[in-house]
Amino acid sequence: MKTSSFTAIALCTALLVAGTTSALVTNDYFFSASYTVLQFVVLATAWNILGGFTGYVNFGSAAFFALGAYSSIVLDKLFEAPITLSILSGTAVAALVGLGMGYLTLRLRGVFFAIATLAFAEVLFTFVVNWDYVGGARGAYVVLQGRPPLGFRSFVQFLFAIMALMAAGAVAIARFVQTSTLGLGLAAIRDDEVAAECSGVPTLRLKLVSTTVSGGLMGMAGATFPYFLSYVEPHGVFSLSYAVNSIAMPLIGGMYDWAGPVIGALLLGGLQQVLQVNVSADWNLFLVGALLVVFVTIAPHGIMGWTFRRGRRARPT
Amino acid sequence: MDRRHPSVAAALALAVSFSAVAQEPLKIGFSMSLTGPLGGNGRAALLAMQMWAEDVNTKGGLLGRPIRLVYYDDQTNPANVPGLYTKLLDIDKVDLIVSSYGTNVIAPAIPIAMQRKMAFMTLFGTNPNAKFKYDRYFQIMPNGPDPAVGLTKGFFEVAMTMDPKPKTVALVGADAEYPHAALEGARTNVKAAGLQVLYDKTYPMSTTDFTPIVRAIQATNPDLVFVASYPPDSAGIVRAANEVALKTRQFGGAMIGVQYATLKTQLGPLLNGVVAWEVYAPEPTIKFPGVEEFLARYQPLAAAQQLDPLGFFLPPYAYAMMQIVGEAVQRVGKIDQAKIAEDIHSHEFTTVVGNVRFAKNGEWAEGRPLYVQYRGIRGNGLEEWKKPGHEVVLWPARWKSGDLLHPYDQHRK
Repeated sequence: MKTSSFTAIALCTALLVAGTTSALVTNDYFFSASYTVLQFVVLATAWNILGGFTGYVNFGSAAFFALGAYSSIVLDKLFEAPITLSILSGTAVAALVGLGMGYLTLRLRGVFFAIATLAFAEVLFTFVVNWDYVGGARGAYVVLQGRPPLGFRSFVQFLFAIMALMAAGAVAIARFVQTSTLGLGLAAIRDDEVAAECSGVPTLRLKLVSTTVSGGLMGMAGATFPYFLSYVEPHGVFSLSYAVNSIAMPLIGGMYDWAGPVIGALLLGGLQQVLQVNVSADWNLFLVGALLVVFVTIAPHGIMGWTFRRGRRARPT
Repeated sequence: MDRRHPSVAAALALAVSFSAVAQEPLKIGFSMSLTGPLGGNGRAALLAMQMWAEDVNTKGGLLGRPIRLVYYDDQTNPANVPGLYTKLLDIDKVDLIVSSYGTNVIAPAIPIAMQRKMAFMTLFGTNPNAKFKYDRYFQIMPNGPDPAVGLTKGFFEVAMTMDPKPKTVALVGADAEYPHAALEGARTNVKAAGLQVLYDKTYPMSTTDFTPIVRAIQATNPDLVFVASYPPDSAGIVRAANEVALKTRQFGGAMIGVQYATLKTQLGPLLNGVVAWEVYAPEPTIKFPGVEEFLARYQPLAAAQQLDPLGFFLPPYAYAMMQIVGEAVQRVGKIDQAKIAEDIHSHEFTTVVGNVRFAKNGEWAEGRPLYVQYRGIRGNGLEEWKKPGHEVVLWPARWKSGDLLHPYDQHRK
């Protein structure tokens, strides 16, 4: 399927889901929980572009997410910017920082790159904590006022619709990256960077594209976060859980295909939402951990890899 | 005849209790930090709230309906809060909501309470309503209408009783929401007292070695050292002050953690001389109606569940919060959020933490944070802390049980 067709279908599906659920579902809990799951779809998809397609493990997802969130806070403080402008600026800022970080750190590989991303998150956290304009350590409030736009009943419904569109957009971008020559280049880097370089793959340029797109999408996910929560403080937005989930979800779904992070995020994110209100939090964390261990040992290439392998075995030779 | 009386009474009692049981339960919903950084306190608060529900149910319920607490663990993670409150309101259909513990988890719930026009009683937030200005918001921490200033005022008012009056101060705190709020309030009070600030710095939450910080403070030789900290750093700073043998006239502040049995027993004699913010102390001047009975019931339950065995900090306030909600609902006679909020605004409540009246912004109309000085702690046992004389109340004057002993370095041991 052509990228343009896939993108159109993905966006139309998102619009259809948002429209249908808004008309049929009356409780806001559905939208609130779904918003969180879709937020992880965007984050996991974004992480996978650099981590899965390119083979560079990023532990700084929370920092890019926070960049998006704090861009929205700055714009809100400056002139109460509309949410669409906040999303665009959050994406742009995180993409630019991704480009810059990539330029500085992509000479590092493996565990050294991972540590550099972790350090980047820490540096950004310290910067935000000491930046009083965005609330510093005390945090900042973004209060949505008036009636929700576009005839939505509540703000959470509106935010869910936006997140659904963003998730569809992120998945379309990931699929485009995977199926284009860019994706082939990234796969070559992942498999053997030296061989790729020797074969004429412009590795640095492709890796920079990868960090930029990945960072930008993470920033996009974070841009709506202050509107969802109304209150953002550094410890919450830089929480390690964003970094851990961004890695765990593609790991469970499968890292070599655009669909892997989507499956992982829907499964793990959905499971977390269900367990949070039905089982104690201790069990919630235990089950998530157990699931990770099971997948890493039994299906190291995630659900996508496992089903692909089973399909190949079942096929007659 | 004599044998029939008890059976008639029993039947009547049974009928009354059956009618309460037969009624649809009155559901009170909240998220609570049962795990995560504030999990210990959250569980202690939950126990107090369960005790209240049990007390009310024993008396036949509220509005003739048995109380049922519906709660979920927010894991001390603000991102979980909107989902949990929408679940409580939309799926569980709770009649009333109250909050989890702390500003970070209260703030994300306020917009939801506002959208649904719910009366919202909250537990220990440092003025999260300042931005929302929600007129059905209430808060039970006793810092007064300007919480950050009220929280720290006592420390400096106590200091200004010294002769000669202090002239200089060092301010230090963690890079986090609460310490920053406390430091902001402290700066206002420092200015009002005309003190010169010699040191005003914050440290990252990941700090583990506080000796360099205390040494840097010592180098400026301040008359007062004010600390705004969270439990791990409160312990670290008190230890460092003892190791470095900090020389100053008054040391302490709004240090979270020293109110809990864990830190009280862990630090023991190291706390001697420290002037700290407390919300309850077992002093003869602090006789709130029912608080001693509450603690007598709470302490064995808490010990069995391995929670804060003293319960001086959060539990009485969690219980009081529910008492206020219950009393307001009883007086209104039905679940009418506007009328309940109006009732809470217009009445004074007698609770286990004393008489409470709320200001327009939902904070206590008249603050009553206590500043105590720890004294005469000899060991690391729990029993000492249950007796009067070890947490001498210095401020406010109405609850005072002793005078400040100073300088700190001479009363440290």
